Amino acid sequence: MAFIDIVGIAKRFGGLSALLGVDLAVEEREFITLLGPSGCGKTTMLRTLAGFLTPDAGTIKVAGRLLSSPRGVLAPEQRRMGMVFQNYAVWPHLSVFENVAFGLRIARVAQAEIAQRVARVLAAVGLEGLEGRHPGQLSGGQQQRVALARSLVVEPTILLLDEPLSNLDAKLRERMRGELKTLQRRTGITFIHVTHDQAEAMALSDRIVVFNQGAVQQVGTPREVYERPANLFVADFMGLVNKLPGTVIAQTADKARVRIGAQTLDAELSHGLAGPLKTVTVAIRPEAIRLGTAAPDVPANVLRGRLLESAFLGNIVDHQVDVDGMLVRVQGDRRHGLAAGSAVALTIAIGDCVVMRSDGD
Amino acid sequence: MMGRMQAAVGAGASPDAQSMPAAQPAPYLSAQALVLGVAVAVLLVLVGYPLLWLLLGAFGLPQGFGLEHLERAFTRPQNFAALLNTLELALGAGALSILFGVPLAWATARSDMPWRRLVHALVALSYITPPYLTALAYIVLLGPDAGHLNRLLRTLFGFQSGPLNIFSMPGVIFVIGIHVFAFTYFLTYSALKSVDASLEESAQMLGARPWQTTLRINLPLVAPAITGGALLAAIDSMALFGPQAIIGSPAQIVFLPTRIYATIGGYPPRWGEASALSLLLVALTVAGLALQRGYLERRSYITVAGRGVRTSTAVLGAWRWPLLAYCLLLVFFSAAAPVGVLALTAVSHSWTEPLSLANLTLQHFYTALFQDQVSVRGIVNSFKLATAAAILAVLIGAAVAYLDVRSKVRGRRLLDYLAILPLGLPGTVMAVGILLAFIRVPLPIYGSIAILLIAYVARFLPLATRSANATFRQIDPSLEEAGRATGASWWHAVRRILLPLARPGLLVAFLLVFIPAFGELSATILLYTGGTETIAIAIYRLNDLGQLEVVSALAIFTIVVVLALTGLISWLSGPDRSFAAAPPVRG
Repeated sequence: MAFIDIVGIAKRFGGLSALLGVDLAVEEREFITLLGPSGCGKTTMLRTLAGFLTPDAGTIKVAGRLLSSPRGVLAPEQRRMGMVFQNYAVWPHLSVFENVAFGLRIARVAQAEIAQRVARVLAAVGLEGLEGRHPGQLSGGQQQRVALARSLVVEPTILLLDEPLSNLDAKLRERMRGELKTLQRRTGITFIHVTHDQAEAMALSDRIVVFNQGAVQQVGTPREVYERPANLFVADFMGLVNKLPGTVIAQTADKARVRIGAQTLDAELSHGLAGPLKTVTVAIRPEAIRLGTAAPDVPANVLRGRLLESAFLGNIVDHQVDVDGMLVRVQGDRRHGLAAGSAVALTIAIGDCVVMRSDGD
Repeated sequence: MMGRMQAAVGAGASPDAQSMPAAQPAPYLSAQALVLGVAVAVLLVLVGYPLLWLLLGAFGLPQGFGLEHLERAFTRPQNFAALLNTLELALGAGALSILFGVPLAWATARSDMPWRRLVHALVALSYITPPYLTALAYIVLLGPDAGHLNRLLRTLFGFQSGPLNIFSMPGVIFVIGIHVFAFTYFLTYSALKSVDASLEESAQMLGARPWQTTLRINLPLVAPAITGGALLAAIDSMALFGPQAIIGSPAQIVFLPTRIYATIGGYPPRWGEASALSLLLVALTVAGLALQRGYLERRSYITVAGRGVRTSTAVLGAWRWPLLAYCLLLVFFSAAAPVGVLALTAVSHSWTEPLSLANLTLQHFYTALFQDQVSVRGIVNSFKLATAAAILAVLIGAAVAYLDVRSKVRGRRLLDYLAILPLGLPGTVMAVGILLAFIRVPLPIYGSIAILLIAYVARFLPLATRSANATFRQIDPSLEEAGRATGASWWHAVRRILLPLARPGLLVAFLLVFIPAFGELSATILLYTGGTETIAIAIYRLNDLGQLEVVSALAIFTIVVVLALTGLISWLSGPDRSFAAAPPVRG
């Protein structure tokens, strides 16, 4: 049995279904990210895990101990979890020291030990010397660290993070991202992290859980979720993707030949796709496409098209190519200065073409 | 630290984890249920129970069911006259409130007229001054023979008598109008303040002249606020027992509250008729409030803009002087003159004598504060009652507000509604209900000071509930949740996190109840007995005895207390005073 065992969790708010039977198993010391657009249920899942919400169905067990079921929930304060809130929820009437010491005072830890432990955790998050400050005098990043320190000082087994980086500016966000990762490695605490930012999820997580409309769409490592998305929603959400509608003309157990406009290409079936297929969508990441016919060292498809426009974006060049009336974005080639209107060849490894069910099927 | 942390990982699962098959229900649910239960019980006793008796009484119960009381409420000539007078008063005061409030609001909110802050502050003063004190002041100012203004007019223009008589219907409407116009003023003011200049500039860019912009953009946007304010003014004017009695009664003009008072005060008291008249007054109030609610809902589209609104300022040029003259004239008569003349009367040996150094004395203050038994008792009782009522109202209001803001308990909306309900009930009506309800209870409540406490808590509970509600709403729930996640119990999180953060807001709630309770008249007049007089009763009775100088001293004392506490509220609500005003910094 996994460390955290979530089985069939469902939750409704009035007429709105926030969670529709979520199953999830988390191992100890894992860094798990619940990822999805706003309103997808990820925060509801986190708050149910924290004990603030009672599920309508399903159970949550941690280390074999039942914490939540429709019949009752163990109160949040008895779960030995830490939680970092989106707005940090640093208590404005208490100093940094008192904010961090709060949990230790509740646990009736001796005064001398409180001083020691608070000092150590403040050092660990880089807040030495700010013990006497009040939250009003701290920057957003510093408040974030207070919130982290406050959760860590009580030595939780699980730390829940609700979009902890979303209120920081871009630069600080990247730095805190690195620090979070290091902290998790060093402490070995199981992190359950919620975000809507797919880049953040990929940078931090051991595994990503993609949510949409209250249901888990896919669970996997960042690479699996990005390169082998389970469906079009996941493909779209994880980054820019070309979605080419086509018709299957030949099919094996794990591959298919698909007619795209007047041309054909070979592609791999997405995970779990079976049975005879007809109308499908082929998903191709823009950076997997190269211009020209230079043969790669893996089996590849070549499509013919006409270059519409190229835009120089710094680290990438974004080409827009017309393939039989379909617009294809190409970012796997930094060449620039090709004449608009010129005929181009697109080379794509077969492994980078994924056949999926079209939306609505 | 990190090593220890690693050791702790996984230790959270207790050794007997397997022997604990089911999670316990969250313990705070039961604590919440307890709070809910107590709040519901107290609310039902204080608000629901008296209202029930009012309803029963109007139908002749418990003696015998019948419609004759309701019928008499309309058919008895005195009652019908009171109804007509009340409607006339409401219409008049509502119309006056527009005439007074709207130009002033535009001047202070949107023009470059000088002394805008002074005008604004004096409007607030006219609202804060208890209206029965304004009424007393106007007896001194516009009494038919000795009134200062009448004497001045006679000297200036050579009238033989009069010329103005405050003891008349226009007199009542005027005295009440200069109090209630504040509703229209403040609502219009904030509506005008929330119309973003870009809305007007867009019209301007499309070729609209300034007056066209005012007429076609501003006026439609603030019209619901003006109408809503006038309705509130009209509703409030119907309930103001003090000025109705002090100015109306000598002129034999009876309104519903004074008629109810007479019905119960006569011998034998006619409870059924009083209940029926009370229901009639409630019906008028509720109808007005329903209308007003409709108007304010339509107003919402301009408040959407929220903070960061930039308003345009009209440059008046020479026109600002006549406007300023109008504004100053108005605040002079609504605030400066009444308070000033009370102060003057309080320090004069005799108010009818001309002002001179020989006529100055502090004797009346000594009499009011230390000598006169009723007056001294009234001051002590008012302080005691207002303090106790404010504490109780904050406790109940905070519980109700917490349930509404923080919990998902079923029925919390109903509870909230019950706690807001008394806001729409005239004090006279509440008093009749409370009399009917507690006259039969075998507890020593009727005729004791406790019945006043019940009335004050019930009447002003909405103020505490609303204030606590707003305070709790400003405190992000994640602050308490962070406490829970850190190991604090529900009660611990409430006590150590919510309450310290809410303290300034709850103190404001305390003062918001204390201030009106301190000078309450319209319910007290029906409920007091010898020994439980309050400051308002002392003023009312000394006025009947014609001791206007002592009354004025007591009035000035009341105004000073009320003003000081109001100042404390605005200081407490100031930008730096409350943590609640500074929610967790975002970003």
